[in-house]
Amino acid sequence: MNQFGVLLKKEWRENVRNYKLFWIPTVFILLGILEPVTNYFLPQILDSVGNLPEGAVFKFPIPMPEQIIAAIMGQYQFVGLLIIALAYMGTIAGERRSGTATLLYARPLSFSAYFISKWIIASVIALLSVWLGFLAGYYYTYLLFGSVDLMGLVQFMASYSLWILLVVSIVMVSSAMMPNAGLAAAVSLGVIFISQLVDSLLGAYWPVSPMKLPAYAAAWLETAPDLGDFWWSVGVTIVLIALLIVLGIFLSRKRAATTKV
Amino acid sequence: MSVLEVKGLTKSYNGLLAADHIFFTLEEGTATALIGPNGSGKTTTLSMIAGLLKETEGTIKRDFKSGVGFLPQYPHFFPWLTALEFTEMAAKISGVDGKKARQQSVRALEFVGLGSTVNKKTGAFSGGMKQRLGLAQAIVHQPKLLLLDEPVSSLDPTGRREIMNLLKSLQKDTTILYSTHILNDAEEMTDQLLFLKQGKLVEQGSLAEVKSRYAEPKIRLRFETEAAAAAFEERMLWQMRRQRNVIDLPLSENGPTMQQVLEALAHNGNGISGVDRQTASLEEIFHKVVGAK
Repeated sequence: MNQFGVLLKKEWRENVRNYKLFWIPTVFILLGILEPVTNYFLPQILDSVGNLPEGAVFKFPIPMPEQIIAAIMGQYQFVGLLIIALAYMGTIAGERRSGTATLLYARPLSFSAYFISKWIIASVIALLSVWLGFLAGYYYTYLLFGSVDLMGLVQFMASYSLWILLVVSIVMVSSAMMPNAGLAAAVSLGVIFISQLVDSLLGAYWPVSPMKLPAYAAAWLETAPDLGDFWWSVGVTIVLIALLIVLGIFLSRKRAATTKV
Repeated sequence: MSVLEVKGLTKSYNGLLAADHIFFTLEEGTATALIGPNGSGKTTTLSMIAGLLKETEGTIKRDFKSGVGFLPQYPHFFPWLTALEFTEMAAKISGVDGKKARQQSVRALEFVGLGSTVNKKTGAFSGGMKQRLGLAQAIVHQPKLLLLDEPVSSLDPTGRREIMNLLKSLQKDTTILYSTHILNDAEEMTDQLLFLKQGKLVEQGSLAEVKSRYAEPKIRLRFETEAAAAAFEERMLWQMRRQRNVIDLPLSENGPTMQQVLEALAHNGNGISGVDRQTASLEEIFHKVVGAK
């Protein structure tokens, strides 16, 4: 087995044995289920905990199934990204800080294989979590609110998956760059949330942006996004992910000397 | 044949020299002890040779590829891997393939005394077991050069003895460079001593060479009473140092020979209880060379 295979196996074992393979998808599934269920039972929930005056009546418009799926994405855009960042913030920085990386770095290690194996396993688990979460959310949405166009759902999930890959790449590069896991999480979340904020405030001036992928993904549930802008954004995101991987490999090698001996 | 040639090796951190133009050569099948007080640059030097640190200046010449095994002072392992999984992974990353990696891992673990715990997760290992596992992962790919940073300093005397014996048995096929501040160990297993002080290589040579340079041989006379020692001191005209009932006579060009001392004792040595020829211990040499107290 070549180095890449050996390191891939090591990453897989790590994620299985520290239960990331199980708890991350579980959290995403719970978030996915919670959205349609909460929306469906919102009047009863308010009634039981709202401490409302006697005779108060609220009329809630029944949300469309597509809106529920988009709302699940909204949950993932905050809580989901936080979980991904926290789960993988220490993947490189933590290994260096604890000294576990030292015994790898003292060997003729291919840093390309080292970084890419970590990126692939983190991506697989993040995508698996997001997909399972959306599928669970879709199932409950279908039961409680009605069906969503399946083709639209597939296009939505595919587009959002690319955004998740970008998020994973940013987290991994931060972990390769920063001296500890906490800083890696802070930097990656800072970059993601600030970029999103800037894009939401000024994004009207640039329709092509990786930050717009979640919005374009949600548009697939309704009709379709502007295809030109969408495909350009997809292209830019793929190039950005590739550049981040190259940067991650470079930083892993460059910062290897900071490992605890 | 030299296995490692280090020429002008220098490491600077913001202008502060952790290693300052170090030169030395390791011959095949030898054991070399890197000696120095804390902060003298031992770990920095080993880390550069292991490829963990980039040197600021100088060259490190090795005559082989990937044939280095490295054991840090406190080895850390992935706690969710078993000893066998870790060692096998280490072997494969070092270029050993498939079945051979498994066989060599089992052999290395048995060699260090972990044969019965190959399937135990490293997170459950004690300090001594981790040190053994560290040695197993360092030798699993059968490197020509073994770099060990304080390999026994964190072990109890029994563990230290066992690891030292393992290292001595490895010496036949492997060149060993190890840092230590336990001078008894250095005295026990060394062909060459390298003394580091504030990043500089201040002395080097075989144990015999270093001892001959710093040993200051002397004859130690032990008398039964302090009065007998004082009486001997009064009668003899040689330069000597007396402390209570013990007299040290330096063996120098101007001093007496052993034969002259024995003759003097035969005539004036009432109350003598012991005669010893002594040289400085490695610890005394260490204090002289690196100036540590």
